Amino acid sequence: MEISQEHDSAATSEEQFESEIQTVFQETLGLIHIALVSHYQLSEQEATELEKDLFVWFRRFCYRPGASIRENRPYLLVACCQFAREYQKYLVGTGVRTTDERLTRILDREPVDVAHDFSRSLQLYDFRRSDA
Amino acid sequence: MPETARILSFPARTRRHELSRVDARDAAELLLSSASSAWSEDGESEQLVEVLLAACNILRERINSTPAEVGMSASALYARLQETCPRLGLFDERHFLMGELAWLAGNGCRLGGRREDAERWFDRSDSNFRHTVNPAPLLARVSFSRLSLRYDMHRYDEVLEFLPSVSLSFEKLGMQLDLAKTRFLEALALKESGRLDAAVEVLERLTVDSALESEPGFLGMAFVNLGDLRAQDGDFEQALTSYGRAHALLKNANHTYAIAHLRVSVADTLQRQGKNEAAIEAFRGAVASYAAIGMPTWEAYVRLFLAEALLGAGRAREAEWEILAALPTIEDQQMVPEGFAAVALLRESVKQRKTDPKALLELRQYLKAKN
Repeated sequence: MEISQEHDSAATSEEQFESEIQTVFQETLGLIHIALVSHYQLSEQEATELEKDLFVWFRRFCYRPGASIRENRPYLLVACCQFAREYQKYLVGTGVRTTDERLTRILDREPVDVAHDFSRSLQLYDFRRSDA
Repeated sequence: MPETARILSFPARTRRHELSRVDARDAAELLLSSASSAWSEDGESEQLVEVLLAACNILRERINSTPAEVGMSASALYARLQETCPRLGLFDERHFLMGELAWLAGNGCRLGGRREDAERWFDRSDSNFRHTVNPAPLLARVSFSRLSLRYDMHRYDEVLEFLPSVSLSFEKLGMQLDLAKTRFLEALALKESGRLDAAVEVLERLTVDSALESEPGFLGMAFVNLGDLRAQDGDFEQALTSYGRAHALLKNANHTYAIAHLRVSVADTLQRQGKNEAAIEAFRGAVASYAAIGMPTWEAYVRLFLAEALLGAGRAREAEWEILAALPTIEDQQMVPEGFAAVALLRESVKQRKTDPKALLELRQYLKAKN
């Protein structure tokens, strides 16, 4: 009985952890989508595909040491900008997509810097959340 | 350009059904149990990443019970990844996995007494972790491992000088368990530097630290060292009480190498109390433990303690056996410089059935200073 209870409690705590990952990802998804579509000029379909990859990465990333799931959101944005930049650079580099001045400018910026700007929006979100 | 090429070739989208954590763990067990298992997955498969992450978790759990084995498995996986998977996982995952495996290999080598190899593995770990998206916690852990290595090399001043910086990193990052481990290392360095009261104070605080409740193995080690300090102070009763608490905790955690260390501590305390026969048995237990978990340098080192105890009890023939069992490892593992006089003297004296206690003492003291 004791073993079974321990197993249940471990399963529950893991379920809670996984559920929090989903919640935090969902909360950040709006911002991610804006970054991908408006800033990195990905199509809706491409953005959706990259978002799936981002979730897979973020879920595994949250098991690394050093930060809570919520504290990991800025890194999620860094990954988002990095994914989008590499993807667009690949398409531009292979001639599949043409670039314009706005896209060139964002592709020239370091993903960490772009993500940093987006992190400010997260802070605003947190402020509104705590104010609610 | 065909539509599929645009999406499929970057980043690899061969996503299959995701593995559950239980399935990933089962696959990881299989991977670890068969040294030459087919590496059929390509490096971009998400399933492979899940399996490798699970393998790292398993190796981390085993590091204190079978360090040599963990070191070998981690270094083998690292080599295979390097050779066969130039791309792996998403974003920074290859660097993370390579860093983790190198860190595990480094700790395996360190615990097995292979310090130069450990240093190289920590360099590899560092160089991979540096390219992850959040390197600070990972690099702090490598820094801590490096300080543990310096402790092993008796460079206590350096440990005490650099430890506060690592502690601060863990504190800022909210890594309570890692922070407790820095306190533990601080206590050990203080103890070895002769600052015994300060060491006792840190250890006593650690044994009531709630961050350690989930880490019986680590808490057990704190009790082992508290016991050592009490024994050094002549308080044998308190020492044995601490060892008793340590044993229960370490057994519960299957912390086999720590249990072997504990046996050496208990033997030493018994010897100080003049209980030579009991000390001999405890030393024998430690030798057997080190042999069972594949720590040959420690096994050889403790055999010398055992030989001294046997000589002290007038059991010269048994002492000779222990010395003869220890010497090949001492030489093969280059635990002493080539041509080290005490080894030659000892070998010769054992051959003549007149074990030279001075040469034995000199060798043991040299190894103590070095190891």
